[in-house]
Amino acid sequence: MAILIRTRLALALGVLAALPAVAADPPPVRLNVKPLLCVLDKNATACAVTFDIRWKSTRAAEYCLNDEALPAPLKCWPSAVSGETSHERQVTQDFLFWLSPPSGTEHVAEAKIEVLRVGSTDRRRERRSRHVWDVL
Amino acid sequence: MKIPTLRTLAALTALWGAMPLAFAQAETTVEPATPVPNAPHSLPAEKSWRFGIGLGYGQRTNPLIQSEDIPVVVDLDIAWFGERWFFDNFDLGFALVDNARFTTNVVARLNSDRAFFGKTNTRYVNFTMTSGGGQVPIVGPTTPGGPGAGVVVPVELKVPDRDYAVELGLEMLFDGEWGEASLRAFHDVSGTHEGFEISADYGYRWIHGRFSIAPSVGVSYKSAALSDYYWGVHADEVLPTLAGYQVDGGFGWEAGLRTSYYLTKNVRLAVSANYEKLSDSISLSPIVAEPQVIGYFAGVAWQF
Repeated sequence: MAILIRTRLALALGVLAALPAVAADPPPVRLNVKPLLCVLDKNATACAVTFDIRWKSTRAAEYCLNDEALPAPLKCWPSAVSGETSHERQVTQDFLFWLSPPSGTEHVAEAKIEVLRVGSTDRRRERRSRHVWDVL
Repeated sequence: MKIPTLRTLAALTALWGAMPLAFAQAETTVEPATPVPNAPHSLPAEKSWRFGIGLGYGQRTNPLIQSEDIPVVVDLDIAWFGERWFFDNFDLGFALVDNARFTTNVVARLNSDRAFFGKTNTRYVNFTMTSGGGQVPIVGPTTPGGPGAGVVVPVELKVPDRDYAVELGLEMLFDGEWGEASLRAFHDVSGTHEGFEISADYGYRWIHGRFSIAPSVGVSYKSAALSDYYWGVHADEVLPTLAGYQVDGGFGWEAGLRTSYYLTKNVRLAVSANYEKLSDSISLSPIVAEPQVIGYFAGVAWQF
């Protein structure tokens, strides 16, 4: 009985000890895009953005950068562990940038660009202001 | 109470000023997204419901005597807009006219003055203020020379109760490149105060990158019936410690500032401050300790 308890305790401790290592494992490829958010006022329908795009990989490989709105990759890199580029674009709605192998559709890493419309496109809602006491 | 409130506001302002630095990270080399005005694009249909919640800390001062300030830790934003009917944070309305120049709605709402009367206390006092400003003891009703003569008797001092009023009225809403404005006129339909209120507001919103700042100002006229019902001391409420007082109609004004820093599409940091000046006649009421209401809030807001 005592041996069984000790065995279970050791197993539990082993699992606990392994958890941080699992959690700390970096993803094989990281894609960082800035800015990630376009904030629009009621009179604007699109943002003109120059995206700063950087990626890093734990091992050298060939990757292509894709834009959801375009049928072909924006840029492909030869075998490398990192890459960077900038991309100018008008943004009207949420979309994805992602990295994929040159001959594949797999999303190795992705970044979502979001468009936030402050206020409402419905003029009745947009025109109704909240009481001065209301904090939002 | 005023000085700590102003200090707290100043501290919040300083904190707010530092927030962008904390969240800017490596974005210093990246230009913020620049909005393009009037670019051709079809906008997605908007949901009928709007639900938002703000969690943080803030408070609104209570101008009534022996009252507590009103803590603000949660602010809800709940609205539904149908074809013509709408519910917007307890305003129930129907759009009569809606065109490019203005919107006219008929709206039923609850009067906001009642909010202060839920945070009052009853106290027992031994002294009362004379008209000359001095304090005199309240002496018990005993016969001269009898037992208890000259004994100071605590007397109840209580802010009178007030009811919520349902008000019905019209509002005209305008907006444009210059900002947004509204004209409102409401009358009691619940037989509570039987008065009316007319108000005008103007606001403007600037957006730069992830920041949004929206100042607003407003002025309102509250009729004598409305003002006296909430802020007067009526004949049946007069106490040895509370003199009768009739409030006249009058003008008050308000100013507010709402700022946001958008972290994601749905989450933002929100800081707001507002000031409301009560009318002169309300300010002189014996149940009013301060002629203004100051409010502030800082927290995180989610929009769903």
